Amino acid sequence: MIRQATRTFQLPWRRIFGGRATLVAGVLVLGLFVGMAIFAPLVAPYDPIFQDTTARLVAPSWLHPFGTDNFGRDVFSRVIWGARIDLQIAVIGVAFPFIIGTTLGTIAGFFGGIVDIIFMRLVDVVLAFPFLVLMLSIIAILGPGLSSFYIAMALVGWVSYARLIRAQILVLKNADYAVAAVSLGFSRTRIMFRHLLPNAVAGSVVFVMSDAVLVLLNGAAISYLGLGVQPPLAEWGIMVAEGQSFITTAWWITLFPGLSIVLLAFGFSLLGDAVSDVLGVTE
Amino acid sequence: MSAPQLSVRDLSVAVEDGPGQRLLLDRVSLDLGTGEILGLVGESGSGKSLFCRALMRLLPSTKLSIIHGSILLEGRDLVTADETEMLKVRGGSIGMIFQNPTSHLDPVMSVGDQIAEGIRYHQGLNRRDARAAAVEILAQVGFPNPDRQYDGYPHEFSGGMRQRAMIGVALSSNPKILVADEPTTALDVTIQAQILRLLMDIRDKRGLSIILISHDLGVVAQTCDRIAVMRDGKLVEQGEKRALLEAPTHPYTRSLIQSHPSMPGEAASELPDAAVAEPSSSRPLLEIDDLHVRFTGGGGLFGRGAQTVAAVKGVSLRVMPGETVGIVGESGSGKSTLARAILGLTPLSSGRVSFDGSDLTTDRAAALAKLHGEAAMVFQDPYNALNPRLTIGDMLSEVLRVQGKASDTDIATRVGELLDLVGLEREFASRKPRSMSGGQCQRAGIARALAVDPRMIIADECVAALDVTIQAQIIDLFRELTASMSLTLLFIAHDLAIVRNLCERVVVMYRGEIVEEGLCADVFARPRHAYTAALIQAIPDIDPDKPLGGGAALELDAVTQQGHSSGQPLTAVNQ
Repeated sequence: MIRQATRTFQLPWRRIFGGRATLVAGVLVLGLFVGMAIFAPLVAPYDPIFQDTTARLVAPSWLHPFGTDNFGRDVFSRVIWGARIDLQIAVIGVAFPFIIGTTLGTIAGFFGGIVDIIFMRLVDVVLAFPFLVLMLSIIAILGPGLSSFYIAMALVGWVSYARLIRAQILVLKNADYAVAAVSLGFSRTRIMFRHLLPNAVAGSVVFVMSDAVLVLLNGAAISYLGLGVQPPLAEWGIMVAEGQSFITTAWWITLFPGLSIVLLAFGFSLLGDAVSDVLGVTE
Repeated sequence: MSAPQLSVRDLSVAVEDGPGQRLLLDRVSLDLGTGEILGLVGESGSGKSLFCRALMRLLPSTKLSIIHGSILLEGRDLVTADETEMLKVRGGSIGMIFQNPTSHLDPVMSVGDQIAEGIRYHQGLNRRDARAAAVEILAQVGFPNPDRQYDGYPHEFSGGMRQRAMIGVALSSNPKILVADEPTTALDVTIQAQILRLLMDIRDKRGLSIILISHDLGVVAQTCDRIAVMRDGKLVEQGEKRALLEAPTHPYTRSLIQSHPSMPGEAASELPDAAVAEPSSSRPLLEIDDLHVRFTGGGGLFGRGAQTVAAVKGVSLRVMPGETVGIVGESGSGKSTLARAILGLTPLSSGRVSFDGSDLTTDRAAALAKLHGEAAMVFQDPYNALNPRLTIGDMLSEVLRVQGKASDTDIATRVGELLDLVGLEREFASRKPRSMSGGQCQRAGIARALAVDPRMIIADECVAALDVTIQAQIIDLFRELTASMSLTLLFIAHDLAIVRNLCERVVVMYRGEIVEEGLCADVFARPRHAYTAALIQAIPDIDPDKPLGGGAALELDAVTQQGHSSGQPLTAVNQ
């Protein structure tokens, strides 16, 4: 009896602490980057695009904690300023697909029939192309730049949200409370967006967090290929790309922005886990 | 009672709840004799299912543990037995059947194989012998053609046959004790009577001991030798059934017996007279003429080739304002479809529905607008009927606002009044369904229906998911509301006893048609249709000396099975 008591006594503690730890860690990591982005002019010791031709490819030191690149720019300052652009990429790159996909998915699931068929075949068409290839073609048509990247993300990324939401709505629209809403004469818009969507959206909110990671990596990849952020702006993907040719002699140019990408992605994942716990998506 | 087969002493189960322990079972002691049927009654949450799971040491969560007591089975204490020993006990000595056969049978394994599996594991027979034994068991549990049906999959059988199959699975390992957890709750009354008969039959043939868990005292009174009553994890009373039913000592047992619907309540006999007197002069509130509702679907519900399924076939009905009409029938009889068709939630195939003069077929928009503002529905599953993200207050004020029933300033007061009407504390306005019990949710659902100031409420099986004492409360609430607000109530139920208590007029539906209609008292006293008679006989009465409707129900089932394949309706007798 005593043995059982002590054993089971620890379980809830671990669960509560574990859940909170994820949330706290996620918020801390993201907070760090948000702080960096907001206070970049105050925190960064140098101008991120100032080229000091006398100090090129300097190894990390007290003067340049992350070293300098081949143009003599301070990598530490560039990493800090880069947070601004990369956070923006993650947030905007997720927000538009989320809004578009959720709306279309709700409409498709709720109305069914021909509307559903049209939207879902559209989803199939988008999914038929490899993700990156489609992104690259759209950006190639629109011309390189961040806004092209956002447009491409919105055009391609909404499909996952549409599918997630539609599946939920299909189940929920037969729930008695939805039938009750119909029988009370509520408008379709009200039923869709006030009664069904709030109950359907939890899974997608969790997916937002993991999607932010993918978007971030995508943004970095697109910039790396020279189609996203244009030099000399500081963005982590570009920094990795530019540092590539010096990887054997000046590893720091590539390493620190690369680490930042990984750490930010990690922060989003932690938050996603915590959010899914809070919303009770996973048991 | 000779030496008990199973003897439980002071069994206590606790859950680890934060820093402390909470007792879920509090020193339960009882004996089960050989060949005895013990009925375990109590409401949901009283710990009756948990008790049976504890017997097999199958506690539903690792947070639960047996902290005290002993379970003696054939000289062994199951509380201290190790896991390998328990594997033999589960199935081998104690078999279990559950409420919902659909979710407890493996859908991708034929029922015969599921029975044979237990035989091979517990009795070590080879494949061929196991099959022969399984066929024998199938015959025993009432499969008319066991050889052929051995290879049938669960979805090919009706609910009653699935429950028989599950009993077969439990019998496969030749247990000495059978634990039946609400085995008939999900079934229609006539099927329930058959399954209960089967359980008693098996007991007689095999000398099994059975623990029958039920929330329905009638079921227990009809089948068991002894009854044990549980409440809040405690065994409040146990004894021989006649003694216990005639002279219950515990107040809870008394209230259980009183709230059983087969007891003729005093209010029930008074109210109809008062209500019957007033209607008739005016024109009907609801008129239905030769209504048909057909669903089209590839590979229909009832047959493979069927393209259209007629759920409602030629129903005509008139309901006067202020009337309380009960619609009864088994699952699949089309009563819910009828309700939805009346409210315009399902397209009509042909026929006419008109509500207070507005015709749903000719002027749909106007009729719908009228229905939305003057009729409301109460649903079966109280949790599913409320939006889980909205507080009760938000839900009610939304209805008031959208329908323009109250000005913005009055909404809060009106919400309070509605909660008062259905007997909920005002603080429920800020609660969400998740933190409420089933009965409270159902009250909130009724409040939502009342929010539209309806002239007619359609209640679709609205008490079927609730415990008996809660059922009685909700029925009382409906009775008060219809009397005080001159509401017209269409009360749909499969439970005849409840309809008899509440309604003045009853409509019996069978296969989408109305087979009988009349004043409750008349229909129940002198049913004219064979189906109605069978339904009434099959209600398990709380008086153990009133036999369970037997022969008629079985005969009917034979007819039903044929009707199933040929689609022939039942013909009326002695009309």
